[in-house]
Amino acid sequence: MINHDDYVKINIGPSHPAMHGTLRVVAYTDGETVVSADPEIGYLHRGVEKLGEHLSYHQFIPITDRLNYCSAICNNVSYEMAVEKLLGVSAPEKAQLVRIIMMELARIADHQVCVGILGVDLGAFTPFFYLIIQREEIYEIFEHYNGARLTNTFGRIGGVEADLPKDFEQRWKKLKEGIARANEETDKLLTHNRIWMDRTIGVTTFSAEDALAWGFTGPCLRACGVKRDLRKDEPYSVYDRFDFEVPVGKYGDVFDRYMVRMREMEESVKIIDQAFKLYKDMPADAPLMAKVPKTIKPPAGEVYSAIESPNGELGFFIKSDGSDKPYRIKIRPPCYMVYQAFPEMVKGEMIADLIACLSSLNVIAGELDR
Amino acid sequence: MNDLIIALIKVVFIWVWVLLIAVVMTWVERRGAAMIQDRPGPNRAGPFGLLQPLADGIKLFTKEDIIPAKAKKLLFILGPILFSLPAFSAYAVVPFGDKIILGGKEIILQVADVNIGFLYIVALGSMAVYGIVVGGWASNNKYSILGGLRATAQLISYEVPWGLALLAIVLVYGTFSLREIALAQQGTFLGILPNWGVFKQPLGFILFIVAAYAEANRVPFDLPEAESEIVSGYHTEYGSMRLGVYLFGEYVNLCTLSALIVTFFFGAWHLPYINMASFLGPISYGIASFLVFFLKVSFFLWLFVWVRWTVPRFRYDQVMGLGWKALIPLGLLNLFLTALAIQLTA
Amino acid sequence: MAKPVVEKRYKLSEQVYLWELIKGMGLTWKHFIFNVKASFRPEPHTIPTCWQYPEDRRPIAPNFRGAHMLMLDEEGREKCVGCGMCAKICPANCITVENAKVPEGEEAKYAGKTYSKTFTIDWLRCIFCGFCEEVCPKGAMMLGPEYELARYTPEECLADKSMLLANFHKAKQEGKLRPPREPVPVVGAAAKPGEEKPAASADEKAVTSAAKPKVPVKAKPKAAE
Repeated sequence: MINHDDYVKINIGPSHPAMHGTLRVVAYTDGETVVSADPEIGYLHRGVEKLGEHLSYHQFIPITDRLNYCSAICNNVSYEMAVEKLLGVSAPEKAQLVRIIMMELARIADHQVCVGILGVDLGAFTPFFYLIIQREEIYEIFEHYNGARLTNTFGRIGGVEADLPKDFEQRWKKLKEGIARANEETDKLLTHNRIWMDRTIGVTTFSAEDALAWGFTGPCLRACGVKRDLRKDEPYSVYDRFDFEVPVGKYGDVFDRYMVRMREMEESVKIIDQAFKLYKDMPADAPLMAKVPKTIKPPAGEVYSAIESPNGELGFFIKSDGSDKPYRIKIRPPCYMVYQAFPEMVKGEMIADLIACLSSLNVIAGELDR
Repeated sequence: MNDLIIALIKVVFIWVWVLLIAVVMTWVERRGAAMIQDRPGPNRAGPFGLLQPLADGIKLFTKEDIIPAKAKKLLFILGPILFSLPAFSAYAVVPFGDKIILGGKEIILQVADVNIGFLYIVALGSMAVYGIVVGGWASNNKYSILGGLRATAQLISYEVPWGLALLAIVLVYGTFSLREIALAQQGTFLGILPNWGVFKQPLGFILFIVAAYAEANRVPFDLPEAESEIVSGYHTEYGSMRLGVYLFGEYVNLCTLSALIVTFFFGAWHLPYINMASFLGPISYGIASFLVFFLKVSFFLWLFVWVRWTVPRFRYDQVMGLGWKALIPLGLLNLFLTALAIQLTA
Repeated sequence: MAKPVVEKRYKLSEQVYLWELIKGMGLTWKHFIFNVKASFRPEPHTIPTCWQYPEDRRPIAPNFRGAHMLMLDEEGREKCVGCGMCAKICPANCITVENAKVPEGEEAKYAGKTYSKTFTIDWLRCIFCGFCEEVCPKGAMMLGPEYELARYTPEECLADKSMLLANFHKAKQEGKLRPPREPVPVVGAAAKPGEEKPAASADEKAVTSAAKPKVPVKAKPKAAE
């Protein structure tokens, strides 16, 4: 153990321009080199899992919105899929397509925020704005679908609650070009810029064995070189019908995570195109909701169901005792595992790298602390 | 006696002009940033937000001035002052125009034509470090100290390439006096290129401008005040008008550096192929030369803003690496090549 | 496990910082010129991404989930029958409904046989999820387009029935009313035309299992199931 008196203690506290939400890192540094960094979590703990024990299955859906608030739809769908698994029903095909379209839009939105904030933390303020403008268009689609931009209480247990908005096709066409343009501009400003490359290549590398040992999932794992994506390995919903790539990095450093996220945005665009084509082929009055019983009283049992959220594997473990309220809901947040490894990633790096690493991990406090 | 009054008028003129530039630069920075980032920027205070600097000034004046309890009070107060003064003082030797004839007397548009102007500039550049270090250390805050330490290392390291680039200019023009350097940039050489420093010393120009960015603490070298890492660095604890003086001082610094770039490398007040003195009367020539100088300085000020919103910032050790391992060898190489060229063409 | 070591290899154009820097600056210059030209146009909202609130308001979607409204039907009668299903489904326990039989002589005001004597929504607790709108059997509750709900005291944020009805009138005046949401087609539905609720959506059914508010302060709705 290090002798804390030898080093300077810097508190990168819960309120800081670079913290993603309310995270705290107590860093001991020797000059600029970080010797140890102890993270502290819990500043955004709201007792979500405890709330789940008092609300019915249906009433819990808006609560899941507030977990990863940058891509609320993925949380909703993950929860609904878990309850459907417990009930033994599955949503009809058109509803699955709607869910996939919205989830991939949320994935694009989340990645846009992550890449933008990574740029801001490293001093490149402009790409953030170019990306956020496209995110506004995604929000407009969400608003026309459901009525809410950020905390969309999307989907119901057994399907979705509404059809895609009527003008989705025009909006999607415009948005597709916008996303391509914003990504290209971000690329031009950042990817080959030597300052950016120096800041991000080789910074907080992480080996694949370490990542698997710590329980990483999602872009952070794929950046380390492990090709694992739940959409391909354990396809849920109707993902097995789509043709898309899974971008994989090599060294697990900040640059790889950034590139993985940029490529994933392009893949999501492909998925939405294919899904929308399938959607258009379906009849207009195809069912959007499965026949779910009067009151949702799943049989006693437990289920774990996970999806590939933008941050990783977002899992819901639901234990039911036969009544209409869950006995226990446990949420597996992808950021938790990643943040656990943060002290180890950052040991020996400089303070500037600590900030870059934290940004690139995309730790969202709402999901971390629940 | 008359000379003293004229010098005082020139001093007051410089003060007012530089302060006005600093004030307008706050507006240019915010509006330029907004225009690059697809948003309007300040547009509420006056048309196009032109009264925004006034609003900012009023806000800073009327805020409560807090000095942290454990801060070293005297140094805390001295910090901003030590930061702004060298930048202002450097203007004493910058020629901001040629000459103007008023009332039969020929007045050169320069406060003091010192024949070691170059040494004076370099000396004052070294003084700029104190403001940051003193402010950072006196705040009794770990973030400020980090900012101050980073600033020390960065500013001191980048004075060497700065000096080396200027040394090459001195070799080319053969004089330390800024006015003579500016005068020597008239005409053309090699037939078509103007006699400006940038064409005679392209490598020196790049070195100087990079070192100028580092001296000004501007992105990509703005580690001492890197907002996302150390929350404002050396001016974390400052508020109200003390912060105002720091921020102002930063813009005055920018103005000084731009003026130096223009004087050494871009021909001070000369237009590329036109000799203004040949067709303008004495008074209008003086004013015209000032305006040309001002235009060039404005371009470089805009360049500072433009680069700021385009590139990310360096990390601390990369800044040091760039300064010591890349720029200083390049500076020495530049010096060597210049000396060789002068010897061969003498 | 050792950390992987990265061999950095730069292309020549990347190694010299300046070339990529100049390319990036060209891109920002293009944006700059476009926006400067846009800022000189006299119309508002010429820089396409920014709305100058409060003069310019972003047009919101027709089904925006804003402040609640209690609806009146075409003859001007209140649709709400005070059943309290919205209060039961609310995840945030923010609705309080008190039910009463329609008194003699006031049948013209109400569409049903019972009405809601008091109906309070606490906007500070509401999460604007829209469940109350979905579950209402009479279509009396809708979430409207009003989103400027800032008030000075918490008491002003308790929307009582008069405020909710006023919201409806305001939305009707501004032409922002929308038809109620259609329930989505369900698997195996009879889909006979004219049948009102073939197999009602799961959320309505879920109400009957909704949690009773645990806070003892609120008056329990004496709702008919």
